[in-house]
Amino acid sequence: MTAAVPRIRLGRVVYLGFITLVYVFLLMPLVIVVLASFNSGEFLTFPPEGFSLRWYVSFFDSESFMGSLFYSLKVAIVCTFFSTILGTTVALYVVRFSGRWREHLRLLILLPLLLPEILTAIALLFFYYNFDATMRALGLDMFVGLFRNSMVGLLIGHILITLPFVFLGISSSLYNFDMALEEAARSLGAGRFTTFRRVTLPIIKPGIIAGALLCFIISFDLFSISLLLKGIGVATLPIQLFDYVRWDYDPTAAAVATVSILITLMAIALTEKLVGLRSLRF
Amino acid sequence: MTTSTPAIEDARGQGTGSWLRDNRTLLLLLPTLGLFLAFLLFPYLNMIVMSFRNPSTSQVFAPGYTVFNYFDAIFDEDLYYLEILWDTMVFGVGTTFLCLIIGYPVAYHLARTKSRFQNLLYAFVLSPLLVGVVVRCYGWIIILANQDGLINSTLRKYGIIESFIPLMYNTFGVGLGLVHIFLPFMILPLLGAIQSIDPALEEASQSLGASRTKTMIRVVFPLSLPGVQAGTVLVFVLTISSYVIPILLGGLNVMIMPTLVVQQLLDAMLWPFGAALAFILSVTGGLAVYFYLKFTSHFMKGIA
Repeated sequence: MTAAVPRIRLGRVVYLGFITLVYVFLLMPLVIVVLASFNSGEFLTFPPEGFSLRWYVSFFDSESFMGSLFYSLKVAIVCTFFSTILGTTVALYVVRFSGRWREHLRLLILLPLLLPEILTAIALLFFYYNFDATMRALGLDMFVGLFRNSMVGLLIGHILITLPFVFLGISSSLYNFDMALEEAARSLGAGRFTTFRRVTLPIIKPGIIAGALLCFIISFDLFSISLLLKGIGVATLPIQLFDYVRWDYDPTAAAVATVSILITLMAIALTEKLVGLRSLRF
Repeated sequence: MTTSTPAIEDARGQGTGSWLRDNRTLLLLLPTLGLFLAFLLFPYLNMIVMSFRNPSTSQVFAPGYTVFNYFDAIFDEDLYYLEILWDTMVFGVGTTFLCLIIGYPVAYHLARTKSRFQNLLYAFVLSPLLVGVVVRCYGWIIILANQDGLINSTLRKYGIIESFIPLMYNTFGVGLGLVHIFLPFMILPLLGAIQSIDPALEEASQSLGASRTKTMIRVVFPLSLPGVQAGTVLVFVLTISSYVIPILLGGLNVMIMPTLVVQQLLDAMLWPFGAALAFILSVTGGLAVYFYLKFTSHFMKGIA
């Protein structure tokens, strides 16, 4: 027995060492991006050359980056608004009233998660094009470009992708729901809507908040959908960043990326503070 | 669940009497159902139709239908498209395998640790997932870039190398990026599966004389198979349909199906051919997942 002790310790050191390395691997690119954004040189070397905010100045001076940042925030906020409302209502229906259609509906709503995002983007691109062609053929010129030349088409893509996340969070808090609470409210004379507002809603609120914040984060970072469905002349932040880093290694992109990480971190911190990180469901 | 069943039946019982109340609850469903039918199911059906359209040189497609889009892709003389399809599947299987062997110990540790930093470690696994894929790839570009990347410039500064080591725009760079980006998608399902295994089973196995390794192989791993299955399918599907990572870390040197499809759609403007390629990829991926699920379910009889 005594001989086995050092061997186990060695195994444990290797095991913990490996796990530490994996965490380093997971976080390294994020840390590096932040370091590069504060580095004064054009290229990051080890050790870094010096501290500078010049890349942030260059970012805030760049009209295309600032424009796409605000566009992304706008899309993410509007998308979160619609996804949360639709996700909550449909989760209520599926869990409470769908009966024998429950599994079919669940599958349909989770479909955007199961289908590759790029494929959904392509399908929507074709569909919007055919929609325009059909409208033109029917002489309904006012509808031409309804989806392709406005934020609507892009938003629909974002809502499709984010809705399953909201749905998952809320339906799981509905499944764990003790129906006796609602029955008690009803038997004490509360109406259907009052019961929902005063009993059901407060209980599923953490699920809704977690779903909404996750929805914001995902929409803000969404790439493939935005690449194919963005209108002409506009870009979301990930698209602008993608175009930039394909041809340029200039650390302005690092400043942009750091701000984007910061926005995500704020949403995560808010989730943790309001409802706890574990309420995020995938 | 047991407490809620009678209540649901009760609510539905009231509903069957009155059409009005039935219709009122349908209002919860209809907006989403409409959205999904019009903007998900219909566009996918439309895409299948598109893949049978005639190609055109002046427009994105021409009137009339043909099966030659599929023929051209499958029976190409140089097997160009099938080779890319094969490469895509190899990337998929390779990434999945690497994610599994790297992710499993991490998931096990996170599931069983009693450290007060458990929540922080969980956030570490989660946070890369929540940061955009472009940002994460850009981080790797800074590190790996062939001329002035962090690794190459540092090695050159200290005179260890003279020119540079090619770390990007090749299979290595793309593979590294894929494993990094999809690792959390492997760890999270594994974590869930391992957490649901009663630690008493491991103690029982060890007190009956099995070593730690044997306990892992004979008790923990088989019981975690549902998580393994979920994680591997997820990572495989994500890998074979990934676009950003191969483009940013592989440039045009590493060609896989999604890159090819987008190239056909946006650069060559050959929509019917692009759609056909997308379907060949989906059907191949779908079949691979189907047989994999059948195969692995065989080992999962009696679990969960």
